[in-house]
Amino acid sequence: MNVSASSKITNLQYILINSGLQVSVFFLALPRILAEQAGTDGWVSLIIGWMITVAASLIVVKIMARYPEGTLLDLLTHYGGKWAGRTAAVCLLLYLFYFGYSCLVQTALITKEWLLPQTSAYMIILLLLIPTYIVAISGIRIIGRYAEIVTLVSLWIPLVYLLPLKEAHWLHLLPIAGEGWQPIGAGVPYSLYCFLGFVSTFIFYPFLQNKSQASMAITVSNSLTLLAHLFVTLVCYVYFSPDEIREYNEPAINVLKIIEFKFIERIEVIFIAFYLLVFSLGWIPALYICAYCTNWLRNTQAERNHVRFFCLLLAIGSFFFIPDFHQNEMIEQIFLRLGILIEYILPIFLLLYVSVHDRFSGRKKA
Amino acid sequence: MSKCWLHVFIAISVLLISGCNDRLDLEDAAFPLLGGYDLDEKNNLLTYVTVPEFSKSARKKTQELGVRAKTLQQARQQSDAYWPAVFQGRKMLVILVSKRLLAHVDWFRILDVFSRDAKNPLTCRMIMYDGPLSEVIYLNQQDQPFLPLLLRGMVDTKSGRSETVKTTFQDMHRLRFEKGKTPSIAEIRLENEIKLNGTALLDHQGKYADSLDAQETILLQILQNQAKHAVSLTLAIPGQAKRGPLNTDKLSFSTNKAKTHIKTAFHDGHFQFDLAVHLSIALTERLFPYDMHHKSTVLEKAIAEQLKKQFEGLIGKIQSHQIDPIGLGIHAQAFTYKPYKKVEDQWGRALSEANIHLSVTVTIEGVGTIK
Repeated sequence: MNVSASSKITNLQYILINSGLQVSVFFLALPRILAEQAGTDGWVSLIIGWMITVAASLIVVKIMARYPEGTLLDLLTHYGGKWAGRTAAVCLLLYLFYFGYSCLVQTALITKEWLLPQTSAYMIILLLLIPTYIVAISGIRIIGRYAEIVTLVSLWIPLVYLLPLKEAHWLHLLPIAGEGWQPIGAGVPYSLYCFLGFVSTFIFYPFLQNKSQASMAITVSNSLTLLAHLFVTLVCYVYFSPDEIREYNEPAINVLKIIEFKFIERIEVIFIAFYLLVFSLGWIPALYICAYCTNWLRNTQAERNHVRFFCLLLAIGSFFFIPDFHQNEMIEQIFLRLGILIEYILPIFLLLYVSVHDRFSGRKKA
Repeated sequence: MSKCWLHVFIAISVLLISGCNDRLDLEDAAFPLLGGYDLDEKNNLLTYVTVPEFSKSARKKTQELGVRAKTLQQARQQSDAYWPAVFQGRKMLVILVSKRLLAHVDWFRILDVFSRDAKNPLTCRMIMYDGPLSEVIYLNQQDQPFLPLLLRGMVDTKSGRSETVKTTFQDMHRLRFEKGKTPSIAEIRLENEIKLNGTALLDHQGKYADSLDAQETILLQILQNQAKHAVSLTLAIPGQAKRGPLNTDKLSFSTNKAKTHIKTAFHDGHFQFDLAVHLSIALTERLFPYDMHHKSTVLEKAIAEQLKKQFEGLIGKIQSHQIDPIGLGIHAQAFTYKPYKKVEDQWGRALSEANIHLSVTVTIEGVGTIK
């Protein structure tokens, strides 16, 4: 595959897209999910999850380095023939579509709950799809720049999370591993949940300007994600009582509700409005990759039409069906299992296969 | 061409989307600033609200209303019927509860709507009133700011000097789930005028247990390590002569620094807490002659001893009611996790059997501008 110079992305853009995919909408409920499993030791699970993720993403980079000029689809075609590539394209397509869809739906539901209780979720999705369409249709480089802009305008958000620390109870974090390591272990799969998204490397790798630094970039990206999640989680843990935190659906929003300014009443409203930008980093790259996959499958040069198709599909689909609260939870559960399978387990086998294949064919040549 | 279609699409969606459907004009909204919750003789829930009245023709600046209802949402419906406007809970400043309501376990549950509906604020101050709420709500004093502002101001300024506690709805919610600490909320009484009385201590189920006056509240917050800078205490120093009706054995000081170190241990089936209180103080008032130059360390010891007695009185009160407003349970959980987990659900009782050792050290840092 030939990548034209105009569609290259810098390392920074790649880092931000990847972190955007990972952070997106999942961090709002993360403190609760971790607390349900591991109590106030959830942050330890998060760090373990990060280590696993760094390992897994390095494996992904290692695989891609075998065939630096192409995406995973080209690589698999190269190694396993046409049908291997196609199967991978379909899997990736379905998975990322699911990824984007669950981000979008969750964003719509949260917006409805906190911001626009009387607007239908369908309307919200429709509104969200307009900027999505404009950004996603412009290609990967614009998505990269969009990620940069979003990061820039969101830089003030962590500062506001420092305000609840005035009433922090640091003792809640002690003792570490009070119930032993078993609950922390139980929390690890759920902590992987918030790192899902680095699968984008499979597609974005050939677009990287500087491939020799790809491993560094992905590690930085994962660490950035860890910092964001760890920060929010710790703030929630020291602010809320350990048993109380399970009561909230999105503790990361609730923790903002107690901030009192003389000039503004519901500060969390501004946050959710701003968060929409951060959330959008979840589904915009995902939809783009979907379009890339279908485009690759049909072997055309009409990526834009495929983006259009997916936007339309989402618009029409949500007109007929919007998951309710329980269905949304189910979507999350399935997503978690699927994500671990595709992003953590499959790459290991892939790397094994690729290296065995290389050694085998290398011997044949010699 | 595609740009054109995009614009058409945006235009159509802007026209069709119902964004301003749930708009509410200020004229059509009533904002209660105070919500009061009480029980009548038959234990029916009584709900009171105080709403500022903006209309020019109204002689009074506020309107008060009390309704009987099963739940708060129902109360809202019924209150609506009295106004040419829709009720909005989002400006609530103060939640007033009566002691009668607090005599019942889990009364806090009726306030569920505050935490469930995202529009409601979580920072309204919780205040307890000792008596039927109608007395306060319909008091309508002419020469004071109106009730919600008065109460909120009282709590905010006095808690700034640690003379009461600023417990917001969110704090109550937090403490409802916290087994290692019991809630305490501000308390008012009516003695011709409304008066901030100090703090009401609640037990683990939220039931009223006891009251603290301003000085005891300060002591409590010193133990919680939450005393603000410069809290002011007055003590009687024994051995000083009382002259006539005046209490000239008294001495007052403000603290420059107040710090409590809490050491937690578990021995032979009992929790043990060592509380080491250290105060750096500046004298603000001394009504008896004293040779500060030579005997200041003696005075420091005397102050420490008096303070220790008061602290011990407070701890005795806490242990006898089987409550834990200091939050020692949180320390127990952090440092003696295993034994704490076993008694977590009866923490009040475990604490009442615990050994609590207290030591107080005082350093006088300043005596003011005269000797």
